[in-house]
Amino acid sequence: MADSTVMIRVAFVGKGGAGKSTIAGTFARLLARGGEPVLALDSDPMPGMPYSLGVAVDDCPIPDDVVVPGPEGGPRWVLRPELDAAAMIERYAATCPDGVRYLQFGNLWGHVVRLQQAQHAWSQVVSELDRDRWHVVGDLPGGTRQAMFGWAKYADTVCLVVEPTVKSLHTAKRLFGVTGARWGPSRLVLVVNKARSDSDVDRVCERLELPAAAAVAYDEAASRGDRRGAAPLDEAPDGPLARSVEGLVAHVQSLYSSI
Amino acid sequence: MKIAVVGKGGAGKTTTSAVLARTLGRRGARVIALDCDTNPNLGLSLGVGDQETERLLTLREKVGEGTAEHAPTFHDILDRYGTDAPDGVRLSVITRIENPEPG
Repeated sequence: MADSTVMIRVAFVGKGGAGKSTIAGTFARLLARGGEPVLALDSDPMPGMPYSLGVAVDDCPIPDDVVVPGPEGGPRWVLRPELDAAAMIERYAATCPDGVRYLQFGNLWGHVVRLQQAQHAWSQVVSELDRDRWHVVGDLPGGTRQAMFGWAKYADTVCLVVEPTVKSLHTAKRLFGVTGARWGPSRLVLVVNKARSDSDVDRVCERLELPAAAAVAYDEAASRGDRRGAAPLDEAPDGPLARSVEGLVAHVQSLYSSI
Repeated sequence: MKIAVVGKGGAGKTTTSAVLARTLGRRGARVIALDCDTNPNLGLSLGVGDQETERLLTLREKVGEGTAEHAPTFHDILDRYGTDAPDGVRLSVITRIENPEPG
């Protein structure tokens, strides 16, 4: 177990469908099992984390009425005066198995325009979050867009989730360009997902010139669970996916214990 | 005929779009394939190759940065930000100006 006084702040990025939410949710739960306080941050407007967290509610966006118009010359919306980051989590973050708290940015089931309020509330919560209170496990939407616009700024470690397909690799290359300068290779953690052979893993590592912190084998049982919305940890607790993510958690913890 | 392909990441939008475009092209239709994804990979599925796909992305980024002009007409977009793909398909990347960052 790594030194638990240093809180992990990790964000998962990658191409859509690469398995960010699946791995991020599983990561959050496994980290929390050691008794650590874990906050899962889902900034994807089509949130996928509830399924891997195994939380009953999949629809819990930040409500609009948490913000009021901001001061002249300041942000357009700010949290109501009686609300701060801690209160926001207390009130609006869902409680998940293994004790993970889950905060959802918003979703597109509702009206798109509303997201602007949620966006301001979100960025204020994220920037005012107590560093020493929570481990943060963040899930970004697929592609390069949010990473490019600084939505992963809260993280000091970035997990790049890549499947061994050309399209996923291209996205990873682009993300590497966006994130590489900010985080540096020691804080960019490569996860090869849906690997079917060693050569799959080697190809990804060669192309990105990064070692794989974890290679997640294709998990048939977890995939079956995915069809019903069951979390990998509930469907296949000892499967290859769960075991690989356990290794990933240990790897990321080791980055923090060596500070 | 104007077809838009949508869906969750990884569901197969790009692959479906590319097969659709080339199949129509093979049957003799004149086909324009527009990549509106912020993470554009359609070139890879159409078979124009890595380098050409990246070249189109770079062109588009220049427009985003303001170091290249927006194309004034639809034909200019196809001409400047496009490339020829197999089966007679013309691929072009599309962008618009916006800033989704809070504040």
